Amino acid sequence: MASQRVGEAGFSNSGPSHHHHHNTMPYAVFRGLNPPSTSFINQEGSAFDFGELEEAIVLQGVKINNDEAKTPLYAATVRPAATLEMFPSWPTRLIQTPRGSSKSGEESTDSGSAVNTLSSRAEARLEPESPISKKSSLEPQGLEQKHLQLPNQQQQLEMANDGSRVEMPQDHQPAGGKPTTEKRRGPGSTSEKVLDAKTLRRLAQNREAARKSRLRKKAYVQQLETSRIRLTQLEQDLQRARAQGFFLGGGGAPGGNISSGAAIFDMEYARWLDDDHRHMSELRTALQAHLSDGDLRVIVDGYIAHYDEIFRLKGVAAKSDVFHLITGMWTTPAERCFLWMGGFRPSELIKMLITQLDPLTEQQVVGIYGLQHSSQQAEEALSQGLEQLQQSLIETIAGGTVNDGMHHMAVALGKLTNLEGFVRQADNLRQQTLHHLLRILTVRQVARCFLVIGEYYGRLRALSSLWASRPRETMIGDENSCQTTTDLQMVQSSQNQFANF
Amino acid sequence: MHYHQEAAAESWGYYAAAPPAAGVRHGISMGGADPLERVVRLASGSAVVIFSMSTCCMCHAVKRLFCGMGVNPTVYELDQDPRGKEIERALIRLLGNSPPVPVVFIGGKLVGAMDRVMASHINGTLVPLLKEAGALWL
Repeated sequence: MASQRVGEAGFSNSGPSHHHHHNTMPYAVFRGLNPPSTSFINQEGSAFDFGELEEAIVLQGVKINNDEAKTPLYAATVRPAATLEMFPSWPTRLIQTPRGSSKSGEESTDSGSAVNTLSSRAEARLEPESPISKKSSLEPQGLEQKHLQLPNQQQQLEMANDGSRVEMPQDHQPAGGKPTTEKRRGPGSTSEKVLDAKTLRRLAQNREAARKSRLRKKAYVQQLETSRIRLTQLEQDLQRARAQGFFLGGGGAPGGNISSGAAIFDMEYARWLDDDHRHMSELRTALQAHLSDGDLRVIVDGYIAHYDEIFRLKGVAAKSDVFHLITGMWTTPAERCFLWMGGFRPSELIKMLITQLDPLTEQQVVGIYGLQHSSQQAEEALSQGLEQLQQSLIETIAGGTVNDGMHHMAVALGKLTNLEGFVRQADNLRQQTLHHLLRILTVRQVARCFLVIGEYYGRLRALSSLWASRPRETMIGDENSCQTTTDLQMVQSSQNQFANF
Repeated sequence: MHYHQEAAAESWGYYAAAPPAAGVRHGISMGGADPLERVVRLASGSAVVIFSMSTCCMCHAVKRLFCGMGVNPTVYELDQDPRGKEIERALIRLLGNSPPVPVVFIGGKLVGAMDRVMASHINGTLVPLLKEAGALWL
């Protein structure tokens, strides 16, 4: 494990020989920072002793002494894919988790070469120096912190890199003179000040890899920035659209794949919902004003026509885009969950209404239960018909040889046209059921009925919005515990919401 | 459910409904008659008659509706009948629907296509009609 991390994880070097080799971070040894991707994430609480780092910096002129010890390391680490293990340069600073402290960390790098200034710092502050490790350290932190952190880190990194680049030539000079002679000796050379060709190559590769990872990091960070900007823009659009009364569940994504028939229907449905609000408030005031039955009848008839209108609109939409209706993309998620054949299930609606409409005469109760029963039978029949259609479609699509492919597709297309018929019959059932129910009830009861239905669906839509906007934690360690608490919070807040209804 | 296909000698005896006229004994295969007449004749032959097609899913739905109510309808699959096309045309003339099936007759009287059948069921008029035709016993 240690061998995987060049430069940071511990190799068991001889204690006092700290190399300033840009890959080396001997301090990791005694901290046991072996897990590669997280070793630079110093939130784990590993505090580096800065004193030792100073020593290392001071000794930066010293070349690698034990190549033998290094060899297995390098062999393991010079892997282009293992980017996490490549480090660009001498680690400038190690700054610990408190992000606010990164600023002071920055100060010390300001003066001249990063390397030299470090020695002046007495605090134990650790900062991940590899770009990749910074990347991985970014993720758990959350976007906000990243953005606070990045400029600092980038600056520091750059300075560190500059520092290392400054140093490198120094390293090579002494080694440059003796490449040929050293080659012969191979890794067995024990001279402290000589770098043989192999090592040089390794150094070069490491530098290359480090540079690449720096570039990668830059690209990634830029991507993050642009995504963040786009996200805030989208959120603003969202809020604006919401304020204008559009129901997002119904509209589909702006610019997403939505047919023109579906888009038109969504618009008309949104308008219908606005009208619905208007009708409802009209009805409420009418009931409170205790109008005569005749006057109430007029308003109620208007509401009935309003419902007939949506059935008509759905009929038109079924011709142009039946999938849009039957998949419920025009509704909110909670409604969609309980959708039956592109709309509400009449028997369910009746069940809901029975509880809300007392007092009812015995005759009415019998009538309503009978209606519920008939509706259930009709629903069952339609569902079975649709199932038969699905079976037939499956057989058509699954069967057939390769040669017959187009023919089978044509047959399948023909079968799909039946979907429109089913949605139309389902809407027809809904409309008939509603009309018959209204015939059973008195005018006043009908008025209350419409209010109940309107409020019910209003709450269902509100539930969808609440669900969509419930607070969720970003992914950090104990994700599960966070979620349970937020779920509780959400339930509480939603309960408070409904108290107002 | 009773499925009728071209059969030379169909026994109509087990239908409790209206006694078949002499000319009907030969079933659909009787030639020369006006298709619409044939439709009416067939419709009068049973308490509940459904003109259907074996591949039609809405027909399946209407059949399931009646079976779910405990009714035993007589079904004519027009795509399996050599003279089915004529009947199809006659039905289109009668109702103007496309597709022409399913069409339901109860007690010899035309009820209509799926939407009419469901509407009358929701209305509560379907059950009395069935009882009257003897297709449903309480």
